[in-house]
Amino acid sequence: MTVDVGGVARGLLTWEKQEHLVKLAILILAAVLSFATRLFSVLRFESVIHEFDPYFNYRTTRFLAEQGFYKFHNWFDDRAWYPLGRIIGGTIYPGLMVTSAALYRLMWLLNVTIDIRNVCVFLAPFFSSLTTLVTYALTKEIHSTGAGLVAAALISIVPGYISRSVAGSYDNEGIAIFCMLFTYYLWIKAVKTGTIFWSAMAALAYFYMVSSWGGYVFLINLIPLHVVALMITGRFSHRIYIAYSTLYCVGTILSMQISFVGFQPIQSSEHMLALGVFGLCQIHAFVDYLRSRIPKEHFDLLFKTLMSSLLTVVLVVGTLLTITGKVSPWTGRFYSLLDPSYAKNHIPIIASVSEHQPTSWSSFYFDLQILVFLFPAGLYFCFSKLTDSNIFIILYGVTSIYFAGVMVRLMLVLAPVMCVLSGIAVSHLLAKYIKSVDAGSSSSKHGGVESKRQHKKMEQQTGGVKSEVAIGFVGIITLMLIVYTLHCTWVTSEAYSSPSIVLSARSHDGGRIIFDDFREAYYWLQMNTPEDARIMSWWDYGYQITAMANRTILVDNNTWNNTHISRVGQAMASSEEKAYEIMRELDVDYVLVIFGGLTGYSSDDINKFLWMVRIGGSTDRGAHIREKDYYAANGEFRVDKEGSPTLLNCLMYKMCYYRFGQMYTEGGKAQGYDRVRAAEIGNKDFELDVLEEAYTTEHWLVRIYKVKDLPNRGV
Amino acid sequence: MSKNIAIFLALSALLGFFNANAEIVNTNVERTLDLTSQLVKTTTRISAEDAAGKAIAEYVFFVAEPSLAYIAVKDSADKNVQVRKNDEQSFTFTFPKASAKQTFVVETVSSKGILPHPEEIRQNDKQFVRYIGNLHLYSKYKTNAQKATVKLSSSNILSHTQVKPYSVSANKITLGSYENVEALSQEPLVIHYENSSPFVTVNTLERTLEISHWGNIAVQEAIQMTHTGAKLKGSFSRYDFQKEGRSGQSALKSYKTYLPASASGVYYRDTNGNISTSNMNSGRDFIELELRPRFPLFGGWKTQYTLGYNVPSYEYMFSDGNKYQLKMHLIDHIYDNMAIDEATIKIILPEGCSDIKLSPPYSVSRLPNELVHTYLDTTGRPVISFTKSNLVESHISDFTLYYSFSKISLLQEPLLVSGFIYIIFVITIVFLRLDFSITSHSHKD
Repeated sequence: MTVDVGGVARGLLTWEKQEHLVKLAILILAAVLSFATRLFSVLRFESVIHEFDPYFNYRTTRFLAEQGFYKFHNWFDDRAWYPLGRIIGGTIYPGLMVTSAALYRLMWLLNVTIDIRNVCVFLAPFFSSLTTLVTYALTKEIHSTGAGLVAAALISIVPGYISRSVAGSYDNEGIAIFCMLFTYYLWIKAVKTGTIFWSAMAALAYFYMVSSWGGYVFLINLIPLHVVALMITGRFSHRIYIAYSTLYCVGTILSMQISFVGFQPIQSSEHMLALGVFGLCQIHAFVDYLRSRIPKEHFDLLFKTLMSSLLTVVLVVGTLLTITGKVSPWTGRFYSLLDPSYAKNHIPIIASVSEHQPTSWSSFYFDLQILVFLFPAGLYFCFSKLTDSNIFIILYGVTSIYFAGVMVRLMLVLAPVMCVLSGIAVSHLLAKYIKSVDAGSSSSKHGGVESKRQHKKMEQQTGGVKSEVAIGFVGIITLMLIVYTLHCTWVTSEAYSSPSIVLSARSHDGGRIIFDDFREAYYWLQMNTPEDARIMSWWDYGYQITAMANRTILVDNNTWNNTHISRVGQAMASSEEKAYEIMRELDVDYVLVIFGGLTGYSSDDINKFLWMVRIGGSTDRGAHIREKDYYAANGEFRVDKEGSPTLLNCLMYKMCYYRFGQMYTEGGKAQGYDRVRAAEIGNKDFELDVLEEAYTTEHWLVRIYKVKDLPNRGV
Repeated sequence: MSKNIAIFLALSALLGFFNANAEIVNTNVERTLDLTSQLVKTTTRISAEDAAGKAIAEYVFFVAEPSLAYIAVKDSADKNVQVRKNDEQSFTFTFPKASAKQTFVVETVSSKGILPHPEEIRQNDKQFVRYIGNLHLYSKYKTNAQKATVKLSSSNILSHTQVKPYSVSANKITLGSYENVEALSQEPLVIHYENSSPFVTVNTLERTLEISHWGNIAVQEAIQMTHTGAKLKGSFSRYDFQKEGRSGQSALKSYKTYLPASASGVYYRDTNGNISTSNMNSGRDFIELELRPRFPLFGGWKTQYTLGYNVPSYEYMFSDGNKYQLKMHLIDHIYDNMAIDEATIKIILPEGCSDIKLSPPYSVSRLPNELVHTYLDTTGRPVISFTKSNLVESHISDFTLYYSFSKISLLQEPLLVSGFIYIIFVITIVFLRLDFSITSHSHKD
């Protein structure tokens, strides 16, 4: 600001100050834009937490803000996983909650009496503003200021990142991407300077990253990979040695302070690359030292012997540790990273989550648009002028594009590097052609031989591009960027700004209908059931029930206990009598199901039902549940008369369609016409023996049943 | 009851001792009992005279209903008569002019006098309620002639006390007239009838008024309500509720709240966020807000919500120099025939208010003053709070709050903000212009 005022006073700004001003303006605009574009849902609906997981984070944050850190750390939650409970403090990454609680406390300290919910809702947009700034810094370190600005502008609206960071989407990823890029920035700084200061800072940023997201594993594998790549390319130096050794030691010790991580950094196989590279660093440095001290032939002999013996020792120790179980086995989620079909074949609970599915090609374009095409160009420019830091960004790009292909969710990790590389590409190309545009326009003003000669000279300087071509090229790039902006805004507004807790639809006359059934049901539970009531539902709704209804639930989105979830799946898939036994065993008071047949809401429990059957049948006690019993004779999953009798008489079917057979849902269709499955239901007239309807929401989206008590003797 | 009677006897003996000569007789009593809603509203017109011809200055009145919320007395000239409370159920009226003959009208409203019977019903059942009261005016004095008219919500009367003479026409029962009823005579009146109006009680109301001298008053009401009618037995069927008109008649589906005409920025939410089922119609004199709870309230069900809005302060605030006067409704309309168990009113005044004096329209119990700290506060805003239990619509009346506030304090907040920004600029300038590094390094450019 002072720069601005001073410049105006003197009438003209110096070049440096102008550049400074433009830079500041672009950065501020990008940061503000990245905040503002994420507010669609707040403006359309309200300041509300979205989806499923954010409700858990919101609940824990509220707890932390009210009860303080020690209570939070020692929190045993008896509201979830009845009767097992869950140790919250030891099974989460607390970074997100601590961040928002700290912000909340700070604001209250300054007498800004903001609601904790609003802190949570706006945290992700706030952190994406910070991400924009960090992306600038990172790209500037890797390439140039111009590339940094373009990258910052690109990342501020990239849908792949927005999908996880709109206002209300209060999840770990929201702050983790900032932490990740910040760590990368500091790592590049450390690599460039080779000072302990920057690597210690990188370690601190890494600690923040570890505390906030399980995706830190990607980071702690990428950085060693970078070091290995530098070794292979013969770029290993004292700077890298200092940077990595400091980062690894400090970072690992810090990361072990997070109780959820614990001893994993030195035990689990996912972290072994980092440890190995640390060792390799020492050896490499030692070897370098020796090489500088002893004659070549002696050195060669020594090197060979040392290398072979060391490799043997590492191999033997590694196998021993794996066999004895000291190094934990590879977990399912990690296997599915390497082999996309692994989870689908082995762990139904992982495969059932849509965000764990492999990414389709269209979603790459949907989430990244032109970045997909600029990315290779950026890679090319990086390759054309290799530096230590360029190698890092190349590695980051290549690995993350692989992982994003394996799992939709990891698109999030890919989006920033796409922006960085595209930023480099765009800035490189523009810098090249803009010069020619200038040359063209300046030469056209003056006629004559002299200027023509000048023009030729300039053409030679700039790489020999005619100004028309340059103008055309710049025009195309500009057009692409404009289209990118439009696309991003459209995607954000259409695809990523629905809170999913409130649904909206258009009525025939164009008016907006709001389906607020979820909150209606949860609030009913909170108000009108006993304080200690236990609610059985499919695990998807667990977090929402505990957060909004404040009632005890059996299973939730944490999915840590497969057998328990399987038991719930068995109850849902069994006949009433069988299910009653299971429900009595689990002390269930109420059962909650989501039913979309009346409104046409397609992600309801009947459509998820096959997963319940699969998960229910995946354990020993659920051996009687076989998936094929639920298919009709022709092998289809149908709810109409053709459907299998097992399906038509199971608990889930009965709870969803209880008394639905009398409803007229659509003109010209028979009673009990299910609008999602587009079929008239097959089993209409039945009464429930062991349950009674406790509440059904206005649009029948949520149905709650009360489990009846055992009948009195003799009645 | 026997304990009450003992108290009455003792009281009347005491009073009799002082007023030994007074021999008041109720010459004529006309009672109207309005039992159409959940409240028992009685209007009693009493003509009294002193048998000895002495002037009547005071009159003792007993209320039979257990939970009296409101009592008001007017004399024949429609002037208010002063009411002094002796205990929960006995009041002494002091007439403005003592004369040998007095005619006056006593209005009472009491809650919890009508109870559902049976206490639990199914969703499609009608709600029946029972009122138990006194057939005669329970009076300290002898009554020569009296008559009672009972207005009910429907003509579906299952049973009622049949002491002749009486007559029933549609939803009205006329009892009496009964001649020469002795003092303190008690005879029960029981009416069992259909009443489908939802019996909804506000358990707690927390009303917060935040005064800003920048021209705004923010009103917020946190309400917890319960359906205190017949409890829902068995299951709730959404199908029946949507398809059949007779299903869930006594359930509360929606209700109207009236807000001041100048109210703006109305919100209606609960802990889970905005409740999207409400309609607002602006009228000339008030805003009609149709509130629908998230779910219909059946017997025994409860809900909780927060309603808030802003009103311009010029309508409620009057000033004379540094002296200010705030005049606002102590409680406001929530729904028709409302009954509030417990109301807490909090008034948050701007920072720096002093000499605060509250004058409520009826007796309230004051809570200790507090301080709250919110946006741009330094010393904190004073909070005046008080509670009152058992309120009904008749309690909607203004309180007055006197305080002094210096107009210069109004500048504190903008100065704070500009000072803060100024300091930031100064710090930026200092940091950008001066070199703080310890080691000297060669300058670029």
